[in-house]
Amino acid sequence: MSTDARRGRPLGREEIGGWFDGEKGLIDKTIYVDPDIYELELERVFARGWNFMCHESHIPEVGDYFTNYIGEDQVIVVRDENRAIQVLLNTCSHRGNALCRAEMGNTKSFQCTYHGWTFGLDGKLQAVPGGANFYRDKLDTAQWALRKAAKVEQYKGFYFATLDPDAPSLHDYLGEVGRIGIDQMAVHGELVAIDGVQKNVIDCNWKIAVDNLYDWYHVNFSHRSAMRVGFVSASVMQPMQQMVMLGEYGHAIGGPGVSPAQQEVLDGLSDEERTRLDSLSFEERAKLAPRISERRPIRPTHMKEVMGPVGMRAMGHPNIFPNLWISTRALQLSLRLPRGPLKTEVWWFTFMPKSYSLDQRRAMMRFMTHSFGPAGLLEQDDGENWTYSTRAALGRVARRRPQNLQMGLGQDEVREDPSGQRSIETRVNEHAQRWHYRCWTDWLQAESWDELKRTRTPSPTGRI
Amino acid sequence: MSVAAPPEAPIGSVDLPLADRMALHFRVEQFLFHEAHLLDQRRFRDWLELVAEDIHYWMPIRRTVTAKDIDREFTRIGDMAYFDDDHKDLSMRVEKLYTGSSWSEDPPSRTRHFVGNVQITAVDGDLISVRSSLHLYRSRLEGVTDNFCARREDGLRRAGEGFRIARRHIYLDHTVIHATNLSSLF
Repeated sequence: MSTDARRGRPLGREEIGGWFDGEKGLIDKTIYVDPDIYELELERVFARGWNFMCHESHIPEVGDYFTNYIGEDQVIVVRDENRAIQVLLNTCSHRGNALCRAEMGNTKSFQCTYHGWTFGLDGKLQAVPGGANFYRDKLDTAQWALRKAAKVEQYKGFYFATLDPDAPSLHDYLGEVGRIGIDQMAVHGELVAIDGVQKNVIDCNWKIAVDNLYDWYHVNFSHRSAMRVGFVSASVMQPMQQMVMLGEYGHAIGGPGVSPAQQEVLDGLSDEERTRLDSLSFEERAKLAPRISERRPIRPTHMKEVMGPVGMRAMGHPNIFPNLWISTRALQLSLRLPRGPLKTEVWWFTFMPKSYSLDQRRAMMRFMTHSFGPAGLLEQDDGENWTYSTRAALGRVARRRPQNLQMGLGQDEVREDPSGQRSIETRVNEHAQRWHYRCWTDWLQAESWDELKRTRTPSPTGRI
Repeated sequence: MSVAAPPEAPIGSVDLPLADRMALHFRVEQFLFHEAHLLDQRRFRDWLELVAEDIHYWMPIRRTVTAKDIDREFTRIGDMAYFDDDHKDLSMRVEKLYTGSSWSEDPPSRTRHFVGNVQITAVDGDLISVRSSLHLYRSRLEGVTDNFCARREDGLRRAGEGFRIARRHIYLDHTVIHATNLSSLF
């Protein structure tokens, strides 16, 4: 039993285990609206996991900061005097006030607007007004530094933090599948963050927003109008060739894949030929190389070593558990931040490869500004689906019937490549969504990292 | 320390006799009201007729920053934005509304564009720079209401008796958008 003072009822292992039925592909709708379950998620998923903070290029200079969230804990991500990235809880050690009320900027220190306690970029308490006169030199400032994240680590310039000292290293947490997810961005070479994070709040549970990123079933219907007006083509939005990679702790990649036969053709191309093909329109490309996938980019030759022979072919959407989506074209990241069981704040970070020409930059910016974010031709049609999928669970009778996540259940095979990499090669399916909820159950049931490391569901093999 | 909300468009000269200036102001204002009416009546194709071929329709991202960092309050042209549209993009947005599958606007939103504080800030040949305040009220479905407030910096080009919108830069008074989407036109 977990004991959190804010929670109304204790939630035991058995009750938690009953919400997602992986054998039947059914989900209890309660998990989207129950405040007790939400509190447990904050404690056992967000306060425990590794959460994305920022890219190194977001805060290049000493004193540059950016505020982010770990669950509902707001943190300041700042580059300190030694150029190291610090993640500090944004709450004064005196009375708890927020130290930083801007979302970004540059500063020499963080000064509380309540009583003026002042903290260094490393979180140390530097100055207390009235230290001699009012505290009579009895305040031990060494004890009142800001609370820091337990660990801050990066993979290829992407910084993550965890509040739990028992968490494994970021490398081990990501595992092969999580790392391949981030490698999808690293494919582009050195990246620079484009200024501006899009932020909007949708009335839905965060898990619905997350599992939607694996959902290649909805695209042809939810986003039909964007296809009708020619913004995207149906063959790109919902190709038949799909593959899924499932990683421990809940990471996954789901969506289009390059078939082994297509990869063979690609393997025969030099990097120059790959770049040239990538710059062509779909029509031109289809004429020149009819057998290769329409997915872009065609990854450079050296990435096969980095991503492995199977990972190299995975072109779908990765999610780094719990809530970081590496989006289409792998130049945008989206966080789905929990704001209570019925609200999610969606953030979009955008990057550009340093190597891109002005024309490439323009084309990519146009695609990115018009796809996602609240005004995106694709994303504007998602929100209400998520809202009402969440809200249905408030109905006492509607709640009794579980949601259906049965597509492809028991009909596919996890295959292991000679390299040891595993994938499911199939058509549109719901394997990654089921994996998300399977692992989410592990996270909620485990009372500690030690337990989670022991009890987590191993990466599946065989029939799935 | 300046806390001016940037970028403040320079007020160019409006070097006209008062009577001409008043007449122009009247025509500009009537144009903006008419345009708002078309949007609120969901006559989106008619509205698009008022848009110049070389339109730049742009809504930067606004950030909560301290007074010291106020010059970074808005993203700049070329950075990330909510809207960064040319005529082709706007046509796509408008045509999307007529596809029968534009779910964010079906059932359609009920909008009211309140346009006020209209100022002509410059007259440069055929191009008239116009600043206005916009309050876009949106009501959706049973109980959703959204309120968006913004400063608009428009460029209106004279076309016969009327105008065409050649520039619309929308500076929102919000940082985090507390709405499901931005499926309306500003």
